[in-house]
Amino acid sequence: MRFDPSDAFTSAEPASEIEAYRKPPVTERKTAPELNGIVRLLTCGSVDDGKSTLIGRLLWDASPLYDDQREKLLKETASLHGASRPDFSRLVDGLVAEQEQGITIDIAWHYFDTPHRRVVIIDSPGHEQYTRNMATGASHADVAVLLVDAQAGIKRQTRRHLAILDLAGVRKVVLAVNKMDLIGWNKERFDAIVDDFVNSVARFPRLSWIAIPVSALNGDNVATRSQAMDWYKGPTFVEHLETVGAREDNAHESFRMPVQLVLRDGKGFRGFAGRITAGTIHVGDAVSDAISGRSSTIASIRTMDGDLEAARSGQSVVIELADHIDVSRGSVLTTEKGEVRTGRGLEARIVWLANEPYSSTQGYLLRTATDMVPVASLKILGRLDLDTLELSEAATLEPNGIAEARIDLARAIAADRFTDHRGTGTFMLVDAVTGAAVAGGVIREVSAGAAAEKGAFLLSSELLWRGLCSDLAEDDTDGEFRRRANEVAIILRAAGVSVEFAA
Amino acid sequence: MTKPLSHLDLLEAESIAILRESAAQFKKLVFLYSAGKDSTALLHLARKAFWPQKLPFPLLHVDTTWEFKEVIEFRDRTAERFGLDLLVHINEDGVARNINPVDYSPSVYTDVMKTVALRQALDKYGFDAAIGGARRDEEASRAKERVFSLRSPGYRWDPRKQRPEMWNILNGRLGQGETMRIFPLSNWTEKDVWRYVAREKLDVVPLYFAKERPAIERDGQVFVINDDRPFLRPGETPRLIKTRFRTLGCWPVTAADKSDASDIDSVLAETLAARNSERQGRLIDHDTIGAMERKKEEGYF
Repeated sequence: MRFDPSDAFTSAEPASEIEAYRKPPVTERKTAPELNGIVRLLTCGSVDDGKSTLIGRLLWDASPLYDDQREKLLKETASLHGASRPDFSRLVDGLVAEQEQGITIDIAWHYFDTPHRRVVIIDSPGHEQYTRNMATGASHADVAVLLVDAQAGIKRQTRRHLAILDLAGVRKVVLAVNKMDLIGWNKERFDAIVDDFVNSVARFPRLSWIAIPVSALNGDNVATRSQAMDWYKGPTFVEHLETVGAREDNAHESFRMPVQLVLRDGKGFRGFAGRITAGTIHVGDAVSDAISGRSSTIASIRTMDGDLEAARSGQSVVIELADHIDVSRGSVLTTEKGEVRTGRGLEARIVWLANEPYSSTQGYLLRTATDMVPVASLKILGRLDLDTLELSEAATLEPNGIAEARIDLARAIAADRFTDHRGTGTFMLVDAVTGAAVAGGVIREVSAGAAAEKGAFLLSSELLWRGLCSDLAEDDTDGEFRRRANEVAIILRAAGVSVEFAA
Repeated sequence: MTKPLSHLDLLEAESIAILRESAAQFKKLVFLYSAGKDSTALLHLARKAFWPQKLPFPLLHVDTTWEFKEVIEFRDRTAERFGLDLLVHINEDGVARNINPVDYSPSVYTDVMKTVALRQALDKYGFDAAIGGARRDEEASRAKERVFSLRSPGYRWDPRKQRPEMWNILNGRLGQGETMRIFPLSNWTEKDVWRYVAREKLDVVPLYFAKERPAIERDGQVFVINDDRPFLRPGETPRLIKTRFRTLGCWPVTAADKSDASDIDSVLAETLAARNSERQGRLIDHDTIGAMERKKEEGYF
């Protein structure tokens, strides 16, 4: 339990001070039946910056937190000597076995509704292993709040956090300059911190940002406008969250849908099921399958609730095509032929998540949104230094490290460059034996891949159809053929033989 | 340009995508069905996910033998209505030993009739993955739960083995002896489930709606008497109280709320304005500090 010695609110009558917090919360308790979308917020910063206090304050002031949860916090805090207000950080840190749980990648999810919007808080711990935690949290976030202590200003850690956010694809950042109360609500000091931040953020041209002076402890500019800082004219933190853009705002981009399943009704209907990751489609639009390169037009967009005329990014649908083309799980549907790249070679940045370092003799699988393929070879090109953003030579990759890598796959996949399309530009590496996810990656370039590696075993599908897979129906709808082919490749790879699939 | 999606549209689409990934990645899936509101919403999502096909997995209900009779009726009616493959499992050993919620503490009873019973059923059918309706907002120990939650041999939840999940990629590859629990409603809140039940006009167990029911008040909580098995203590006499349930467990250990909300619109309004959290009415959670966390490690759903 930390107490701030300079806390101006500490008084002779702590109990009555706390009583004041029993009054009803600021926001209306009732929220609309349907909210205006979802915004996912990643919180970055350490305990010392007041991160848990900020989240707790958000939940206390802006969310319809339940009375039993409020009462529990008041009771817990009232029993602590000298407490003058609830310890808001307990709302997030209150888990009994938080420390004992020992989850390797440790992310907690909190949910609340403003009167207009769902806010999801993604909280990753700020300890030394934070890179992999933060990258994992950032992969789900629309916006990140970087918390800095107004007394300390921008630290090296803040710059490293920016690098991780940029890498994981977070494009919107809130710089929350916290503990403004402890520097006398000083505008000049705030401006100096923002100037310093401008220098740090200039290296990341894709990031857009806003700076807000706050006092998480007192609630200033969190959910309620600060009376002490009338010089600040921008939005409060909650006002900003209600209007900031979310992931699904990419409906104007070109269309992408990774195919999850082929669904049939037994009466001739055959549709491709998936969740649209970018763009908007209409019945009659031309559609191309990235893997086969074949094109058709959209005959119908089906759901259980009836046919749709159009569908947009974020929706899960079933698409029926006018022509019978052979699309299967793992492919990506798009409107413009040749737009989605296909190839066996990837240039990528990867963050190593596992406790065991990368090993060149271990078998790995690469998993995209809906595809999975054995890795033929993976070469670490260099380790990324988060301070200088430069690559340094490295042969392997330790937990928490970020590296640039060259990956060759046993067969071609359909994918995009991450900076072009977030939903189809990422992957995870999976240990082929244990099944554990060992790394996450963003694709920088897709290429045909190097000519077949010398000594690589060419696994032909004809051979598989005649032997191992001769029991399967030719129209293999479950992807069992592909599954068996993958397993053969994994076994060979584990024995030290590089494998490639021949058509 | 099409209309922007509401938060409920997005949650629905995400859950459908999770259900489709589950069907694509596992060999022998099962849907853990309790007939409660979360199961009801999830079943509806599953029907949407695979439409126009039938569900590619059976439903499994772990019957503790102390369920509300309305729940059992609803379960059977639902299976009939949608032509579902329903499996019911009871821990017969627990029945033989008369492990019941009246004489035993909630933790012992739940362990035998729910946790052990579920393990027996999973073993019996050899399922490699089980879909359930748990949500991260239900309880603090679930705030860190994954969508694909790995279970070590023996269905144990090992914190060190929980896998990182990034972007929209779900990894269902299993190691030797491992199984998966899948939570498509991870990002839903209690309010969302009721919003969805109302929007989609879903039929739910009538116990969620207020009605005068024979009940007693004990230690400040209201218990509805559901059958004539021994439950009443000396001096307790049931009287009619207008009640409804926010959560449905075994009847002797699930407290009801006094309420006048007798239809879906008033239940939704009451839920959106609720002042107390959902699990207050479940005795199991209050049994000991950190109870849910240990239950999870032991394999309770």
